[in-house]
Amino acid sequence: MLPVVVVHGGAGHIPKERSDLSTSGVCSAVRSAYAVLQGGGSSMDAVVEAAMLLENNPSFNAGCGSVLNLKGEVEMDALVMDGKTLSSGAVSAVRNIANPVQLARLVMDKTSHACLTAEGASQFARSMGVPEVPQESLITEYSRMRWKKNLAPDANPVECQMGKMGTVGAVAVDTDGNVACATSTGGMLNKMEGRVGDTPCIGSGGYADNMSGAVSTTGHGEAIMKVTLARHILFHMEQGQSAEAASDLGLAHMKSRVGGLGGVVTVDPQGNWAARFSSRQMAWAAAQKGTLHYGLYTGEHFTQIIEDAH
Amino acid sequence: MMSAVLVVHGGAWSIPDEMAPASVDGVKAAARHGSSVLKSGGSALDAVEAAVRALEDNPTFNAGYGATLNIDGEVELDAIIMDGRTLASGAVSCVKNIANPVSLARAVMEKTSHIMLTGKGANQFAESIGINAIPTDKLVTEYEKKEWEKHKKYFAGVMEEFNTKWAHDTVGAVAVDCAGNVACATSTGGIRNKMVGRVGDSPVIGCGGYANNSSGAVSCTGHGESILKVTLARLILSHVEQGKSVADASRLSLQYMGDRVQGAGGTIVVSPSGQWAATFTTERMAWAAAADGVLWFGINPEERLNEKLSQ
Repeated sequence: MLPVVVVHGGAGHIPKERSDLSTSGVCSAVRSAYAVLQGGGSSMDAVVEAAMLLENNPSFNAGCGSVLNLKGEVEMDALVMDGKTLSSGAVSAVRNIANPVQLARLVMDKTSHACLTAEGASQFARSMGVPEVPQESLITEYSRMRWKKNLAPDANPVECQMGKMGTVGAVAVDTDGNVACATSTGGMLNKMEGRVGDTPCIGSGGYADNMSGAVSTTGHGEAIMKVTLARHILFHMEQGQSAEAASDLGLAHMKSRVGGLGGVVTVDPQGNWAARFSSRQMAWAAAQKGTLHYGLYTGEHFTQIIEDAH
Repeated sequence: MMSAVLVVHGGAWSIPDEMAPASVDGVKAAARHGSSVLKSGGSALDAVEAAVRALEDNPTFNAGYGATLNIDGEVELDAIIMDGRTLASGAVSCVKNIANPVSLARAVMEKTSHIMLTGKGANQFAESIGINAIPTDKLVTEYEKKEWEKHKKYFAGVMEEFNTKWAHDTVGAVAVDCAGNVACATSTGGIRNKMVGRVGDSPVIGCGGYANNSSGAVSCTGHGESILKVTLARLILSHVEQGKSVADASRLSLQYMGDRVQGAGGTIVVSPSGQWAATFTTERMAWAAAADGVLWFGINPEERLNEKLSQ
């Protein structure tokens, strides 16, 4: 059953013309992450690898391709968590770096803190030799177009919803039985400057504990925070629910209690996994026992043999 | 009719003897103040905000006025407030030079569609609603300036052993009002000489605090990074959801935090039915509770003093 890695590229309403890009993006990321695991890499290495690839992929709302805040600028959040030690690293509202998830990992590995924000996060990045990148390199035509559209007072509400959610993330369990999660995002479309969503908040954007499993979430950030979705799902698993049932219970609770939609990828230390969502779509992919699994719309579950898997 | 209860804490750590009386006086005064809000029909949300404001204004505590300084000698403040009825919440992290971060957090909750604002964005929002930044020297006490000088020799970013002797007080309050609604609030200046931009547990929902009418409200203090690892506030309420008393839930959770991640701290909890607890695994925690006309308080382990609430 081990190792396993599951990634998501955001829950929400992905416009049809972009859905192929989302699907190929998550499949590609999961293949790389799986190769890391098969090569003896840790679950932390795998989830960071997946998240970094999705950050580099301009089709996703993370790193390059991040949505813009109200001022047309990029502010990013990320989280990593190690299920063995419960150590975590997070950055919030960080600017001008290509890979916030990598910086989050550095916070975990190189400081005695768990979260750095804004200017402090940038200072730390500089001290670690993480290159500063021009903001322009993170902004795509698409994100700029959506920003402009949503500035208008009469902005189209349906269009507004598209990608209002969307974040990338991954969970994995390696051959040692250690679980980990990673989540990264540009946040909410046209958010207020300095707005921090669920992603870098431990227990909301993600959580990992070798005793129960790992979760990475996506969806309406404020709703996820109100119910601390990742932690909520793992409470259910601690009480004996399967990864799939716990994920569904958590998403249903979020919908009924606070009216929010979203999606999660979940894994338990034995290698059982789930990719579940209450939104219209969520691009996801998983790799286990040499097989690639993926889907986009509710009920979809495609499989493919991973040729180079050993 | 439901009886209203309010509990406050002024931080869990090795409070030195010379600070103990001021700490106890401070939490008692804040509890009295918050409790009077409840008595006059105010909501749990109003009461926790009022109590925490009183603690922020008190230079004895590491929140608002009297906050510790980061490695650059600046004040960066975190706060959270949460409404157990709707699960609405507001938080600010690393906001500079604001006298009452808890009120700014409430404004985030009530005046924006977001839950958390950080750094410059939080300060800009404050300005936009007429909350002006105040000069650093109005927030920094001589004591904190001296402590900052003393600790400057330690490099930030180097792995350090944070033990309970280091000051990591924070302030907080939980309440249940006569309508049965619960709320929590937590506010802090963070760890002394922390890295610039360090965010601890206080403003993180589920960690520094959590409130849910179905189980209760919690505010935590102690070693922030440990509290984050176990999502302490949310953990305590999960035990309450499973049928544990607030006291047992608190004890179990703090025990777990000590065993699993070697962290110590303190918590205050109130249930929708008016049960309350103040628990800590650090050497001391200044706390006070107003319930049924009695003011309870303590600072040392097992201590439970009381006096009449109305004086």
